[in-house]
Amino acid sequence: MRYEIRVEGHLSETLAKAFPELDHVVMSGQTVLFGPVVDEAHLYGLLARCQSLGLRVMEMRQLPE
Amino acid sequence: MVEAYGNAQGPTVPAISGVPCADPLGDPFLRTRFALPSRPATFLRRRRLVDHLDQALRTPLTLVNGVAGAGKTLLAADWAAGLRQPVAWLTVEAGDRRPGVFWAYVLQALRACGTGAVGSPVDAAGVDRRLLAALATELNDRDRPVVLVLDEYDRVTAPEVAEQLEYVLHHAGQGLHLVLVTRTEPLLPLHRYRAAGELTEIRAAELAFTPDEAVELLELHGLSLSVPAARALVDRTRGWAAGLRLSALAARESADPEVYLKEFEADRSTVADFLLAEVLKEQTEETQDLLLRVSVLERFCPDLANALTHRSDAHPILAGLHRDNTFVEHLGHSWYQLHPLFGEILRAHLRERLPGLEPELHRRAARWLRRSGFLPETLVHGAAAGDWDCAAGALVDDLAIGQLFTGLRSADLAQLFSRMGSEARSPATDLVRAARALSRHDLDHGLSRLRRAEERLADDAPDLAAARLSCALLEALAARLTGCPPRAERAAEAADGLRQHVEAHLLDEHPELTALLLTHLGSVRLWAGRFEDARAALTTVVDTPAGSCTALPREESLGHLALLDYLNGWLGRAERKALAAVSEAERAGSPQPSGSGIGRLVLAAVAVDRHELGRAQALLDETARFPPGRPDPVPAAGRALATARLLLVRGRARAAVEAAGPAVSAAVASPWAAGHEALVASAAHLAEGRPDEAAQVLQDVSGDQPACAVEAAAIQLAAGHPREAVDLLDSIRNEGRNGPAVTVRAALVRAQVAEDAGDAVAARRLVAQALLDARRERLRRPFLDAGGWIRPLLATPALHELAAGWLTPGPPRRDDRTVPESLPPLLVAVELSGREHDVLERLARLMSTEEIAADLYVSVNTVKTHLKSVYRKLAVNRRSDAVRRARDLRLL
Repeated sequence: MRYEIRVEGHLSETLAKAFPELDHVVMSGQTVLFGPVVDEAHLYGLLARCQSLGLRVMEMRQLPE
Repeated sequence: MVEAYGNAQGPTVPAISGVPCADPLGDPFLRTRFALPSRPATFLRRRRLVDHLDQALRTPLTLVNGVAGAGKTLLAADWAAGLRQPVAWLTVEAGDRRPGVFWAYVLQALRACGTGAVGSPVDAAGVDRRLLAALATELNDRDRPVVLVLDEYDRVTAPEVAEQLEYVLHHAGQGLHLVLVTRTEPLLPLHRYRAAGELTEIRAAELAFTPDEAVELLELHGLSLSVPAARALVDRTRGWAAGLRLSALAARESADPEVYLKEFEADRSTVADFLLAEVLKEQTEETQDLLLRVSVLERFCPDLANALTHRSDAHPILAGLHRDNTFVEHLGHSWYQLHPLFGEILRAHLRERLPGLEPELHRRAARWLRRSGFLPETLVHGAAAGDWDCAAGALVDDLAIGQLFTGLRSADLAQLFSRMGSEARSPATDLVRAARALSRHDLDHGLSRLRRAEERLADDAPDLAAARLSCALLEALAARLTGCPPRAERAAEAADGLRQHVEAHLLDEHPELTALLLTHLGSVRLWAGRFEDARAALTTVVDTPAGSCTALPREESLGHLALLDYLNGWLGRAERKALAAVSEAERAGSPQPSGSGIGRLVLAAVAVDRHELGRAQALLDETARFPPGRPDPVPAAGRALATARLLLVRGRARAAVEAAGPAVSAAVASPWAAGHEALVASAAHLAEGRPDEAAQVLQDVSGDQPACAVEAAAIQLAAGHPREAVDLLDSIRNEGRNGPAVTVRAALVRAQVAEDAGDAVAARRLVAQALLDARRERLRRPFLDAGGWIRPLLATPALHELAAGWLTPGPPRRDDRTVPESLPPLLVAVELSGREHDVLERLARLMSTEEIAADLYVSVNTVKTHLKSVYRKLAVNRRSDAVRRARDLRLL
């Protein structure tokens, strides 16, 4: 499955490296992280990672394959 | 409040006076997890939150819920510090995710404020409901409720922990106020608490700073800001405490803070990411380097930081950072930690700025921690670095290899070392591999690795003593699993010689090493039929102090001792020890039978001899789940014995013969296991009408095995060989150690011989003696097996009186003359509560009030209360009468 996670603000290149498995693109006050997610555990792990880095998740959705 | 805690070799760590020293897992940092986190000078107390939190004293559950860096912990710590009530504080760590470990720490935290003295779990995977019930009861009985704060509760991920917490909370009544400080919502039924008005909730919106509060906070950082400017900053950071703090730090460094903050407001970067980079940028090169490197550590002191930077300037840098409230928090005694949020972001910076350095940093940390005697941290960083020589070396040198087999940490250790590849080649890594294989009863791999380690530890260098002692433990286990007494004796002798060469404090800290070794030694001696030698080793283990790391060897040793008593014919003694073994496991909070389950097997065998077949079957079913791999000889033989005897009694001779041979390949034969196997085969031949084969099979049974010999004599007699039967009985060595199961059977064989010879007087005298011996033990099987000749004898008045009530149906109660003093009749039907029944049952086992209290995890007074009500309901005044009446009423 593929997901995208929108977090508030422009993520620095450095911090984006905390998500090496995802691509990212910065747009209009948000950063979109996107890419393959292995399973539910991975998904929750990504959310926890956002939280522990102080990121505010605006939106998260599954992408069509 | 804070005092030094000296470590034998290393630096000191902070300690809280009043916290008992006994740490369930030997974690030297434990004390920092029970301490209220200190508030920095820049902490702003916010009245509205403290007032709201005061509601916590009126509700059982309180939730402080907010994102990382929202100021939850400091709020709760500040509030708790001002309470008059006793406060138990626990900072949860990621390693506490196993319920058993979690509860061990919660109980320890509670103990620090004078409650929770109910024991401690020994099995990391779970915790016995009874332990939790006892805790709840104890809390409920308190005059002053305890406030239990669990900080970083989001690190608890196991759903059963939430369920267990709820259980304790529910049953603790007014005695417990639980405060959960967490980033994520806990898995408790919050809606129910909320609907009942039993929940105090402080959530992110309430934790957010108002513009006025922001002004005050920034003032504490030396910045004065107008309220409109503060409002803009609060909008930008959403009142997030960490964001405000970082913006103060960043602005303070700039020429015009107000302008700086304006620019920050206009910027659209993520708050923490941007601000942290800004603050980091302002630090010196050395400081930045140090911060990035220590981000791989949970906690650090200057010396450890120096080990990571290969410089010597950590002391002034860390002191300066702490003074400026930048990134680091002081834990006391020169130990620091990074705020978790900053640590996480700094690690991202580390990966970018110093790519590939992380493993090396873990390796340096592991080496330093090992030198300084911090074993758990050494293992974590050694594993993270893939430096298995270091991790395994630390485990072995610390004499902690027994913890792979027993104790709360065993599952975590097994998991940690399961990542070890085959590239690590040090003897210590082979020892760990051997231990892990042997713990799975995988002898092929275990023995080859053990041999490889031994070859390389051959020289007598004193610094190898710990490794060679670890070898001795594994050798003893290998000897046990292969049924090889000389090998176990060699290992025990080697261990005796080696103990003086290792540091005494290591032996004191790891009682499980010796306890495990002696259990293995006792087991293999028992296998070989050397009962008294076995008893000596096993008794030593039982006498070692109870604790989470010795619970398993103590349970196993008690179980082996129980089997030993059973094999000598002492059912009552065997039962008491087996029950002690089972309750040792239960007391320790283990949710399922651990170890080999030998205690239950002995109880099953005793139940067969008492003709309590349903109970025997139930006990055998409970132990049906055996660990995979090669069977452990003694428990396997015990299981074969109990199963085969039960099947024989049930008339399934074929199945009994099949079950009688334990699938064990041992270096030496076990005389009692072989004897019992022969007995079952012989009894099956007899049952199927082949008396000659039955006698043939018994050829090798001799008086050296009294328990087998008496049963063999009975079969010889039944097969028509009275002379052989008597010869066999005469050959039994009577060293006064043969119990009723032996003497009763012997007396019955002689009685039948006398009866057949026409000597009715002698027969009656012998049967009377047998009944007297058997009655106390409720030993029914020998009489039921004796055959038709005994029935007329039992019907004679004198013998009938001895047999009535336990062997044959008793007379109607009104004429019950066997009861020396008649009890007044009961007017109403008796209904005992579950607890009263528990107490009565233990009374019948001749346990003292104190023993019952300990066994049921209740106070002595509670037991006395239950006793009084049992006496009242049964209309008696004494223990013995209570038990007698309960038996009469079939309540027992």
